[in-house]
Amino acid sequence: MDLGSLVQITIWGLLAGCIYILLAIGLNLIFGVMKVVNFAHGELLMLSMYFTFFIHEFFDLNPYLVIPISVFLMAFVGILIERLGFRPIMGTGKLNEIFLSLGLIYLLQNAVALIWGTGSRTIRSPFEFDSISLGSRQIPLDYLIIIGITMVLLVLLQVFLKKTTLGRAMRATSQNREAAMLMGINVERMDMISFGLGSALAAAAGALWCISGINFNPYIGSAPAIKAFAVIIIGGLGSIQGAILAGLLLGLAENPLLVLLNALWTETANTLTFLNLPADISFLSWQNSVSFLILIIVLILRPQGLFGERGE
Amino acid sequence: MKMSLIRSVLAFLVVVAAFSLPLVLRINSAMLEILIIMCVFIMYSSAWNLLTYSGQGSLGHAAFLGLGAYSSVLTAKFLNLSGLWAINVGGSLVLIQSTILTVFVGGLFAAVVGVFIGLTCVRLREWFLAMVTFGFAVIIHTVTLELKEITGGHDGLPTKHLVSITDSQITDPFVKTLMRYQIEYYVILVFALFVIYVIDRVLKSKVGLAFEAIRENELEAKVMGINTVKYKLIGFALSAFFTGVAGALMIHHTGYLTPEIYSVENSFRPIIYCISGGLFTVEGPIIGTFIITVIWDGLKSFGLVYEHLVIIGLILILTIIFLPRGFVSIPGKIRSRFRSGS
Repeated sequence: MDLGSLVQITIWGLLAGCIYILLAIGLNLIFGVMKVVNFAHGELLMLSMYFTFFIHEFFDLNPYLVIPISVFLMAFVGILIERLGFRPIMGTGKLNEIFLSLGLIYLLQNAVALIWGTGSRTIRSPFEFDSISLGSRQIPLDYLIIIGITMVLLVLLQVFLKKTTLGRAMRATSQNREAAMLMGINVERMDMISFGLGSALAAAAGALWCISGINFNPYIGSAPAIKAFAVIIIGGLGSIQGAILAGLLLGLAENPLLVLLNALWTETANTLTFLNLPADISFLSWQNSVSFLILIIVLILRPQGLFGERGE
Repeated sequence: MKMSLIRSVLAFLVVVAAFSLPLVLRINSAMLEILIIMCVFIMYSSAWNLLTYSGQGSLGHAAFLGLGAYSSVLTAKFLNLSGLWAINVGGSLVLIQSTILTVFVGGLFAAVVGVFIGLTCVRLREWFLAMVTFGFAVIIHTVTLELKEITGGHDGLPTKHLVSITDSQITDPFVKTLMRYQIEYYVILVFALFVIYVIDRVLKSKVGLAFEAIRENELEAKVMGINTVKYKLIGFALSAFFTGVAGALMIHHTGYLTPEIYSVENSFRPIIYCISGGLFTVEGPIIGTFIITVIWDGLKSFGLVYEHLVIIGLILILTIIFLPRGFVSIPGKIRSRFRSGS
């Protein structure tokens, strides 16, 4: 295993991390303001992939230019879901919003499957064949652009939350809803905006993932959404820095770490033959479980998450 | 007093209907299959409801379903038990297999694992718990796939049936299967009735009251002297036990076991059934399972592959918004409508 391939796998991990971070921050915003969990967040990502695909197909636009359009569309869809679904059940029960989002998962997945079929689709990026060579390995230019766009989005979000009046109002609502209401903030409008913003971030994640050349189908959203939940719990609820760090951690743990473990295991089994270790064990099949293992370990050791405050 | 009398009469009528159904209608084996799976899911949803009754909503109950199934199948396989007893039904010999006892091993194993999962979850609330339980289902799925020597990996295991028909004059395999299905239906129905009865007793006992107190306000329950950790673990153990038994029964009926049993759909189904039927009630999961299964399989049999799931999703959303207490609250609503009208 040479250095080039290690860098390549690390870039894969970073790409996966970017998707998790964008999803997780959207979830964090929604949870912070509304105290509602949206398990159907992955379905918003999936919907955005289909929007990106069809806008790209019909208007023959550069996929990077489609991103703002699908982000805008999905913000609208998010507001619609908040209005019709979550607002009527706000404050009715602790578990109701989880169950409502389960209903949304069934509804959205199968509606998309019904309308557009379950066949897998893929998008062609204009920079598909451009890559940066790194020793024996090639790194696609698209991956680097996607990581760059994610960083720009994160900086913009931070500026919005810290510097603008609207962002301050949102943070105030997430800190203390009653006090914010008394200060003259329209908290229901904040709910709407936070859900719209969360959906927009999920849409950005979907569009970027789509451009990275993945094959997608109506069922693609569940896995990253569930991992995004793990990310916000690991990072601490409501903490954006925590979400960024945990997202990167998870992205790296899923790809490079497992490959490294695999290489190490084979090496050990081959050198220390007297231990009689089975050399064919593959850690790669643990890719889906690794996030939950980290989650459970973190919750046992530090129930409030890495960056979370006590009490939540 | 009057309401409880009506309820007992209704329950009795439902039991009689459930017992006479395969005799009155000349049901084919496909219909019987749906009825058997319905009975299993009534058990499973009631067990899930029991855990939710103590304020702990699980999104990964398929883990217990699968654990119960795998441990029962493996016990039956390695102990290599013979049939328990033979009954003569209309000239053909029906052998009740010992798998009818190994399902309890399945339940016990699921309960032990459930206590361990409960221990990691006692400090967690609502959706932290939901995530951890969901994660356990995924992890156990991976572990099952990896232990290829024992569990058979992707290919799964063949399993023994609950009953087998030997020494029979019937040679037609279809009639034989139908007969096996009929007997298995009664076996599983008895199990389901027993489980529902036990859950009803538990919810009406001191334990049930403690569950309710913890669900409504954990801190106040603690102040009142309820050992919340103990009762939460009891909730996990009981729920996992019944779920494990249900999983083992289902798998001994179908005759094969693959890791598909840990699927997300198996985790979500009891949630849909309980929510639509009515959470925190004994009859809710039963009514919900019945109605949703009829809709689910009915629409599916018309060839509506995706439409039926869209409709199920819509039903779930609409019941949460407009009927938060499920289908069981419909009679009460109608009655109050009439009363205010007159």
